[in-house]
Amino acid sequence: MKGFLLFLLAGIAFALLQSNVLPVFLSPNWRPNLILILVLYLGLSESLFRALTAGLLLGAIQDSFCGPNLGLYISVYLTIIFVTRLLCEQLNAESPPLLLLLIAGGTLLQNFLVGFYLTILADDSPVLHILLPAIPQQLLSNLLFATIMLLLLLRFQRLFGYRSGLAGLIYQSKHHGT
Amino acid sequence: MRELLRRYRFVFLAAALMLATVALYSYNLRQKTATTFFERAVLTVSAPFLSGVDGLVDYVSDIWGDYIWLVDARRRSLELEEQNVKLQAQLQEVQEVSLQNDRLRKLLAFVDDLDRPALPAQVVGEDASNWARTIIIDKGTQAGLRTGFPVVAAQGVVGRIIKIAPNSSRVLLVTDASSAVAALIQRTRTRSVARGRGDDLSIEYALRDADIQTGDLLVTSGMGGVFPKGLPLGVIESVEKDQFGLFQQVKATPTIDFSLLEEVMVIVGEDR
Repeated sequence: MKGFLLFLLAGIAFALLQSNVLPVFLSPNWRPNLILILVLYLGLSESLFRALTAGLLLGAIQDSFCGPNLGLYISVYLTIIFVTRLLCEQLNAESPPLLLLLIAGGTLLQNFLVGFYLTILADDSPVLHILLPAIPQQLLSNLLFATIMLLLLLRFQRLFGYRSGLAGLIYQSKHHGT
Repeated sequence: MRELLRRYRFVFLAAALMLATVALYSYNLRQKTATTFFERAVLTVSAPFLSGVDGLVDYVSDIWGDYIWLVDARRRSLELEEQNVKLQAQLQEVQEVSLQNDRLRKLLAFVDDLDRPALPAQVVGEDASNWARTIIIDKGTQAGLRTGFPVVAAQGVVGRIIKIAPNSSRVLLVTDASSAVAALIQRTRTRSVARGRGDDLSIEYALRDADIQTGDLLVTSGMGGVFPKGLPLGVIESVEKDQFGLFQQVKATPTIDFSLLEEVMVIVGEDR
């Protein structure tokens, strides 16, 4: 429960950061999606039920901080969590480069899903003019921020106690037997 | 049957949740102007944080601008004394207030020209994604605002309110991909629709024969009933005509630099 609340608080802090602080320093294309990084980490490190519940709430928080409609990021993040679960059962999820690769893949998948939903369901096809050119910058900034967050997490994870492996992936293996 | 459900429970769960969330999103697409309980709660709870963080960011920026660089200048010139630094900082503050005063005066003059009651608001946040173009302002239902109210700045149209909470509102900028504003070319009165493309505007349904030139001013046409007529929207940036086709391909640059937007006016009433 403590960990779950920590994820939610981190999500709210990231939403405020993305909405309030990062716009002062970075143009929209270079702003990382910190909540996406958190969702991918959730998909890897938490049980399916907790990951889905937290993913749902994080999606709703992100929906409240961006765009006009509630539901878009809820759907996108649940899909990403499901895909992450499927992938991490097949791969060695304890490898640090793999986590970064997952973040790259997650960024691409998120852009694809957002583009798909907005084009097919919301009929906002001009959004592709905004989304597509921004993908390389999004990839770079997400990877850069994920690396920084990983380094910080590794440095401070002893404070949180139970996690001794990289990004909590050993914790994940304890829980899911991967 | 139970065995089947047990074996494929992940797939069934995934499919059920996906369908539910897509249904939720589709339902919300139809309720464009409605602010859900969750959204209202998040906007309400986050409003003081947004204002606080905004104030903190301004403070840190001021410290950076007023002191760090001056410390650097001090290193270059050892003759500068502490009092001088303080005076410089105060001067900066006065200049900032003076600049804000100028901006607000322009904004008020603009609203006076508009001849409609309007309410000033401060921009306290931006969109948390890279594809949507929205901002958060520090006024909401308690100040008498409602969804659909137009938001303007001294340079022209900003957008309209789409979500609202007691002390904050979310404004959909004209550059958002889901925004479409009825517009006309000021010089020739050619009608069109200005649709957002992130950083610029795409002018749609401008007939092939219509006289549109680079540098023409694009203003609101007043059709649709959201924005008053004649507000500046953008300046025509490029005009292209295909060999065939009914319409021209026109792009416009918004008159407002949204990255520098600090104060806005929400038009709250009908024509006086």
